[in-house]
Order: sequence, then C-alpha cells, then structure tokens
Amino acid sequence: MIEASLHRIHLPRGTVVSARVGAEIKPDEVIGLRRGAMAPVRVPITRPLHRQPAEIEELLVVRPGERVDAEQPLALIEGAGVVLAPVAGLVLAASGRDGTLLLAPLGAEETVIGHVRGRVRAVEEGSLVIEVPAARLHGVGGSGEAVHGELVVGVPNPGDELRAAAIDAGATGKILVGGSRASAETLTRARAMGVAGIVLGGVLDKELRDFEAIQRRRREAGGMTGAFGILLVEGFGKVGIDPQLFSWFRAHAGRVASLFGADGLLYVYDAAPLPSRRALAKVGDRVIAHRRPFQGRGGVLVGLMEDLHAAQSGIPTRMALVRFEDGRLAPVPLANIEATLAPEGR
Amino acid sequence: MMTDTRSREVGRATSELSLLVDIGSAWTKAAVVGRALGRWRIAAHAAQPSAWDEAELIATLAARLAGRADPRVSARIASLLADAPRIAVHTPARPGRIALAAVSSELSGQAARRAAEAAGWVVVEAVTVDDGRPVVDRLAALQSAEVDAWLIAGGFDEEGGEGALEVAGLVAAARGGGRSPVVWAGSAGLTERVGAFFEPGVLRPVANPRPSADRENLLPLRRYLDGLIERLVERGAARQLAPIGFGRAVAELARASRLRVVGVDLGARYATWASADENGMAESRVVALGGLASPTLTAPGGPARIARSLPLAIDELAVADALQNLRARPGSIPQTDEELAVVHGAVRDLLTDLTANGPQPEGIDLLIGSGRTIGSAPLPAQAMQLLLDGIRPIGIVQVAIDPAGALGPLGALRDDEIVEGLGTLRDDLLTPLGAAVVCRGGRPGHLSMRVTVHRVGWRSLGPIEVRPGQLEVVPLPRGQVAELEIELDPAVSLGAPRRARRIRASVTGGAVGVVLDARDAPLLLPRRSDDRRAVLGAWRDTFLREVRPPAEGAA
Repeated sequence: MIEASLHRIHLPRGTVVSARVGAEIKPDEVIGLRRGAMAPVRVPITRPLHRQPAEIEELLVVRPGERVDAEQPLALIEGAGVVLAPVAGLVLAASGRDGTLLLAPLGAEETVIGHVRGRVRAVEEGSLVIEVPAARLHGVGGSGEAVHGELVVGVPNPGDELRAAAIDAGATGKILVGGSRASAETLTRARAMGVAGIVLGGVLDKELRDFEAIQRRRREAGGMTGAFGILLVEGFGKVGIDPQLFSWFRAHAGRVASLFGADGLLYVYDAAPLPSRRALAKVGDRVIAHRRPFQGRGGVLVGLMEDLHAAQSGIPTRMALVRFEDGRLAPVPLANIEATLAPEGR
Repeated sequence: MMTDTRSREVGRATSELSLLVDIGSAWTKAAVVGRALGRWRIAAHAAQPSAWDEAELIATLAARLAGRADPRVSARIASLLADAPRIAVHTPARPGRIALAAVSSELSGQAARRAAEAAGWVVVEAVTVDDGRPVVDRLAALQSAEVDAWLIAGGFDEEGGEGALEVAGLVAAARGGGRSPVVWAGSAGLTERVGAFFEPGVLRPVANPRPSADRENLLPLRRYLDGLIERLVERGAARQLAPIGFGRAVAELARASRLRVVGVDLGARYATWASADENGMAESRVVALGGLASPTLTAPGGPARIARSLPLAIDELAVADALQNLRARPGSIPQTDEELAVVHGAVRDLLTDLTANGPQPEGIDLLIGSGRTIGSAPLPAQAMQLLLDGIRPIGIVQVAIDPAGALGPLGALRDDEIVEGLGTLRDDLLTPLGAAVVCRGGRPGHLSMRVTVHRVGWRSLGPIEVRPGQLEVVPLPRGQVAELEIELDPAVSLGAPRRARRIRASVTGGAVGVVLDARDAPLLLPRRSDDRRAVLGAWRDTFLREVRPPAEGAA
C-alpha cells in the first residue's frame, strides 16, 4: 500500500484557482485559469486632457500594479474629461516625460493544469497542495517542465545508453525510462518526437547543458510547443539506473506517471512501493556506490573497517568493504554508498 | 579522562559531559566536551552525513572515547553521551527567496543583490531596466517567481528617477497583492510615490544602497534584510542557526583575544564570512547558495574556471560532472585524487567569491577556516593552501582551523557564556596551522621579500629570499614563537601603508609553519595550460613537501 505524499503545485501569480479543497483531480485536469500579460502599450493620458506630462500623477485614478478592465477610467479631470482603458490590462507605470501610462493588455484565458492525480488538500497563496497517492521517486537532479504520461522502458538493460534511433513515434506523449546516459542529440530528438519526459540514471553535464541551450534558442526563436521534462536518478556522468529500480520500472511499464523535471521528482500511479534506499548501509546490505571510481555500481557490503582509514584521496573516513557485482572487492567510504532495499522484503 | 564529580556519594560514577553539535545540510559535526584532570577539554569529535541517524554519531563518539574515559564510566559512555546536554546549531531549513527589480544591473542591481546575498537571501529572479528583455518578459519572470519578499532598488538619492518608478510598478503588477513584503531600497525622494503602488504597510523603505554613482552604502539594507529573513523564514531562535552562531563566536573570540579575526565557514549550502575587530565589532556575510553545492560552480563557465585552477590535467567535462555530483550528493566524500582536486578547486573559487563581495581582507591577525572540507582536509598544509589561495589575506596573519566545527555551537550560547566557553576550550577549539606573510605586488627579477626567522632558543633561519610568484614554507612547530625580520621590495605591499621597508613581527607556529607567500593578490597564473599547471603543481608541492628548514643563519 502506497502512502500518499503531499505535493505543492506552484501557481503563477494571477491564477484564479478553480479546484476546491477536497476535490479529486487528474493529471490533465484544469485547476485554474490565468490571463498572462502581453506586450505593453502606451496610453496617452495628459494629451487628451490638455495637461503637461509632468502632471500625470495628479490625473490618474489608477496606480501601477492595478488591474483594469476595458473602458475603466484611467485618468480624469472632474467635468473636463476622462481617459478610459482601451483594453483590460495591468497598469505598469506612468511616465512624467511623455504623459503616458504603460498598460500591459491581458491575453486570452489560459488553462493551468497540475499534472498530478490526487486530492486537493489546501489552496494557499501562490500554490495548491495535493495529496498524491503514488510511488514517489526523488532523483538527484532534473530539468524542464512538469509533464505526465505513460511509462515506457526504452533500453533493455539499466547500464545501456538511450540512443536517438530508439525513439520513434510510439514514444509520443510517454515518459521514457532510459539507461545510463542520453546525448543532447537523443534528448533533442525525443522532444521533437513529442516524448513527454525521460528518466535517466545519469547524463553528462555537458550534454544536458547543450540540450538546454538548444531549447532556450528554440524558445527565443518561437514555435516550440509541448512541455518536456528530464529526471536524473543516480548522478552525473555515465551512470546506470540501479538494477533493482530498473526492474521496478519494467514491472510498471504502462502506468501513468507525473514527472517534475525542475524538482527532480517522479510520481507513478497505481504502483507497488519503490525499492527504497537507506543512507547508512549495514553489513550484508545490497549497496550502490555514488562517487567515482565506482559510481553507479552495485554490490554487497561485506564488512566495515575499524577506525578511520584514508581513502585514496587521503581523507580519513569510515571505510566499507564492498563486493561489487563484477566480483571485485574494494574499500569504499561508507558515506559514498547507500543500501538499496527491495520493497517490503521482496 | 572523564571524572565523576556529582554522584560519588551514591557510589555510581557519572560524568560531566556536554555535546557541541552542528547539524549541517550535508554533514553533522559533534564534539564531546568533558572534564579531564580538572579542565574542560574537547575529548573527542566526529562528523557524519546528516542523513545517518544520531545513534551512529553517539556510537562513533563513544568509540573515540573508548580507552580514554575513566574506567568507571567507560562501559556506559554511549548512554552518557546520548543523555548529555547539548548545544546545537543547524543550517537554516531553507534559504529566504527574494525577487529583485532594479534600474541598472551594474549599479543599483549589483549593490542590492550583494546586500541581499550577504544577508543569506537567494535572489531567485532579478530584472533590470537594462537586462535586454522586453517588459512583458520581465513581468512574466517576476510573476512566475516563488518568493518570500521583493526588493526594489534604483535611482540616486539626489536625482529620483523614472526608471525606479517603472521597476516598482512592474513589481506591483507582478506581485498582485498578497502578504509578501516589498523592500524599497531606491531613491529616498521616491519613497512616498512608490509606497502608493502597494497596500498600506506593505512597503518597507530602507536607505539606498547606491545613493550616488560613486558611493555604495550596503550596510543598512543588509542589516534590514538580516532581520527580515529571521522574521519571515526562521522565526525565533536565530542564535541556533549555524551561520549566526559562527559569526557570534568569531566576534567574541576577537574581543576576548584583542585581535582582528576573520572566520570563514564553508558548508554544503551556506558560506559564512565573519570578521571582527579587537573590540568585537563584527560584520558577517551569509551566502545561502555560497557553499559547495553552489550553482555558480556549475553555471556556464564555472567548470572551465575550476579546471583552469587545477594542478592536475582534468578535462572540463569531468570537472563539470564531479561538481554536479558534489551538488547532488553533498554528504559523500571525494574518493579519488582527481575528485579531491576538483573539490579543493571549488573551495578556492568559492572563498575567492566570498572575499570579493566585501572589503579586502587586510590587516587581519587571525584567519580561521571552518566547514568540513577545510577543517577536515587530509593534510593541514592543504587547509592552509585553501585559505591562502582563496582569501589572499594581505599582511602577516596567523591561520587556524576549527576541526571539530565547535565555533558555531559555542556561538549559540548567551554572550557571557560564549566568552566562558571560548576561554575554557581555548587549547582545543582551534588547530593552529601557523602563520603566513602574504604580500601584494612585486617586480620581475627582484626579490619580493627577504625574511629572517629568529626563533627563541634556536638558531635563526635565513635570510630566506622570496621572489614574485614564489612561496616558501619555514618550519615552526605549534606553540613556538618566532620573530620575523622582513625586508620588503619597494614595489611590494603588506597591506597598510608603511614607510619602513624593514618590518619585525612576532608569529606563532603550527602544523604547517610559516608561509612566506609572494604570489600577489589575486593570484597571477600563466595563460598557457602547461605552464599554468606547472606553476600550480609547484605551489602545491611546496605546501605538501615535508618542510625542511632552510640554511640556518647566525644564532
């Protein structure tokens, strides 16, 4: 049985929340509406009222920051004239130089969706708190927007690299579980093919940055559609997903998941509990190493060395003896490994 | 040795113990304070990832005390430690988030950002009139920001400025009501007009950090933001915050020792700079994302900068991955030489950044390094190099580390108790690394300084000649006092202007000795990568080489 966890959806300012406390929401359900501001226009104020630009503040009946409706008075001189808002918008500034008011017209109503399934627990200033009954995986990093889609495993083994050629139209709208790495080219292709998100064991920092730079340029050029998120599970570099976790993903292919790239978070619905991790490993535990030279490699903790011992770097620390899956026995700082535990003793 | 002082009459030995605990975001440091031969001492200390449970920490401390504790209590030492009173500090649960809107990125924006960051805020979004973005993008950026407070800056006090009103209007539009306070740190003449943009009581006016083009006045804004973060983010118990405790301890140490002290504490998330003069007048800067997980290290250009500063040939891609892993798993430790080199490169870079955001550190008497990476460097010489390379403290300075991370917890005590605590633990609190003579300037082909070390009861060493770009390490054990006779080149400075080129100064030794450092400030490095690595390698080797005394001079 999965325990529900609380998830906070950050709402852009100006969002009118439509979801009520206690309501059940779905990942693609509209939880609010928002009208974004468009390129501002200058509304002449002093000229129509035959006043000097420097007098603008005395004439205004609205103040910067205020939201106005179309035809709402912006400035007036009692009995002599009035200036009405040409469109609904946000008042940004008044200029004493040219006697104009800077008004950002409000665009068409846009829907805000939460990308999670659950029950609305609270509506707070700027956020919505949702109780999410799903398996929750916290990665070590990520990138991109909130997305949701069906889980699909894209590589045969957890240590395999996700290749661009492996992504086809069948992955559109899905969250793809890759392996130990994906190049910037693969990520770009995935986005272009309409993949919702990718879960990876590792990624080279350079590849991720290149991908983000490409996306930024495309966004600036305009025409980019659809959201895309990346979740990094183990670390940076070429790092395979822990085989236990990979098996769990395999077993849950086809389930709906929500991925929050910037928060490094994944929810999988209708799922069995995830294999868990314990920071302090004990003798006999299955462990995974997090730093080089063993980063991403699994093994069994066979012993703890007494007292402090120097790591290769010279740092005195508590060392563990790990029998890695390739048969090699190596001392590893205890702080650099985590125990990986099968869910509920499986 | 732990002594039974309270319960002899009932025949069961107890012990007077207390724990100093610093719970960091990545590592928890703990020190056991107990009585040995009638004196309070730090009997043991340990550090472990904060994700590990407390029982493990107690077990580690108990194991360190085993064999040293009084036999009457040694069997129960773990339970005594678990029940011992503790003085604890912790890293703030989360940093305060602020959005900044300013007229100019270089003047008002820069000043306001520095003041906010030095007070421990994270600037999550910054917009300026000259940032090249259309107004609608600036508005959208501010509307999307998740913040605790807003900061508006701009306009010189004498001139006012329409730009400042424009950014204030933008904040008013983006904020759209709510409870978050707005700090106005712009032109004093505009306060009333800007106040009208917000609901009554929302705007908090503070003195302009950039009152004119040629003057900066960050302190009032920083102090205000210091208070605001305590009220909004960490309500009450500010003393229990590690950065605050560290600053208080440094201030009291300066007052009690009548020294000018600078302390730097570099953690996983926070970096704290605390400086205090002989009277205990203190200034501190707390940078919420200034620690080893700082995004500045992994931002574009960061890995390349770190890679250039390494004595080993490690390519930029590997450096970038290592830095990201350090950020992602701050509770792990560098296992290989290459990873340690990257971490130490990052420490130097962060210390340089921390130093650059305040007055140049000159005329310091004592420099203290704290935080796990500095305090637990594999070798004392590495800690000394990190501090000297990163901070470049011009002058003659004693250098020490806080290996147990005890300064923060001691700073959580009441003022009078801090003095008592520092006095009681004076022999164990800091590990002296030695002294350093760090000079600025120099002429190629000339000596920067010629130093003779007169040791009490021993033959004098030197004169030791140090050329520009060179450094020398002279042995001087812990506790040994020496008189340095320094002859400076006219083009070389030790900070404060002096007429005499010949200076005498008294220094005390430590684990490293006396470092004579003529590498200039900031450090100058060759452009060619091979040459640069050769120079960096030579500096590293000088620090790490077993220190041998130079030719002895006349007694």
